Amino acid sequence: MKRYDCMKLLAERLKDELVILSLGASVDEWYNAAPHMRAASLFQQQLGCVTPQAFGLATGLPHRRIISLDTDGGMMFNLGILATLGNEQPKNLFIVVWDNECYQSIGGPPTHTAFGRVDIAAIARGAGVEHAYTVRTLEEFETHCAAGLVADVPYVVVAKVAGTVQPDIKRKHSDGREDKYIFVRHVEATEGIVIMGPSEHN
Amino acid sequence: MKPSSVDAVIRGLKKAGVSTVCYLPDSLFKELYPALDADPDIRTIRVTNEGEGAAICGGIFLSGKRAALIMENSGLRASVEPLARMGLGAGIPVIMLMSYRGELGENNWWAIPHGITMEPVLNALRIPYRVVREEDEIEQSIVDAYNWSYNAYYHSAIALGGSIVR
Repeated sequence: MKRYDCMKLLAERLKDELVILSLGASVDEWYNAAPHMRAASLFQQQLGCVTPQAFGLATGLPHRRIISLDTDGGMMFNLGILATLGNEQPKNLFIVVWDNECYQSIGGPPTHTAFGRVDIAAIARGAGVEHAYTVRTLEEFETHCAAGLVADVPYVVVAKVAGTVQPDIKRKHSDGREDKYIFVRHVEATEGIVIMGPSEHN
Repeated sequence: MKPSSVDAVIRGLKKAGVSTVCYLPDSLFKELYPALDADPDIRTIRVTNEGEGAAICGGIFLSGKRAALIMENSGLRASVEPLARMGLGAGIPVIMLMSYRGELGENNWWAIPHGITMEPVLNALRIPYRVVREEDEIEQSIVDAYNWSYNAYYHSAIALGGSIVR
C-alpha cells in the first residue's frame, strides 16, 4: 500500500476539516494529493508535536473536525499523547499514522515498528483510545477514514505503507513560518475570528 | 502557595484571556492545580510530559484560543525540542508559568539542576522571562507575558520563586 494512494482517498473526503501533518516526504505528498486543502493544512517538521498540536486545535475548535497526519517515528517520539487522548476523549480528532517502518526522510533506517513486535494501534488501545486499527489495504483504509471522520471519540488508523515516495511530485517551497500564516489566515476566515490581529496605536 | 497567590495567578490568566491550561503537576504549585481544575472558566489538560503540553498549547494558539503551560521549571528542559521547533521554526508561541525550583534557599539536592539550568536554557532559546517573587506582581506579569507573546509570536515565561512558592 502506498501512502500517496491513501492520501488521495482521504483527500477526496475532505472539505471543511483542518489538517496538521508531518514529516519529510509526506509533506510534499500531501501538498500534491490534497491541493484543495493547502490552506487548511499546517505543514510541520516536528517529531512528536503533530498529534499534540492537532489535539490542541481540536480543543480550541470543538465544532470542527481536525485531522492529524502523523508518522510511526513521530508517534513513538511522544507516546504519552495517546494516554492524554485516552483520558481526554476528544470528539473531533481523527489521527492517521503513516507507518512505513522507517525514518524515510533521512534515507530509511528502520523505526521500532520494523521488527514485527511494536504495534502502535495496540499501544493506542492500551492507552485508552478504543478505536485504533492497523490497516494494510486501500479498502480497509477507506473504510476506517469513513468511520473516523464522523466518530465522536478519538480514532486512530495506523496505515502500513511502503517506504517509497511518490515520484515526480512538486516540492512545497514555503517554510514553517509562511505555512503558519497561510493556515492561521484560513482558520480566521473560515471561523470568523482573529488570531493574529493588528498592532495597537500607542 | 498561599491562597492569595493562587488567586493572583488565576486572575492573571483570566485577565490575559486564557481558557485552557496544560499542566504536569509539581510540589511548589501543588495548591494551584486543584484550584485550576475547579475553576469553571478554565479547562485543564493533564499531560504526560511538558513537551507534549507545549505542543498542545501551540495547537490551541492556532485555534484562536489562549493557553498556558504550567509546570516546575524542570519541565522547561523537557520542552526544549517542541519549543525550538514551534517558536523558531514556525512562530507559534507558548506562554509558560513555572515554579522556580533550585534557586538560592533550595533544600533538595535533586532540584539543584533546575535552578542552574533554567535561566541559561531560557536564554539559549531567546525566551524573555521574568522571575517574580512578590505576590502583587504576579497578575500583571502574566498579562505582560501574553501581551509580548501575542506581538512577538514567540514564547515567554514567568517563573514564580521566593516566598510565593515557599
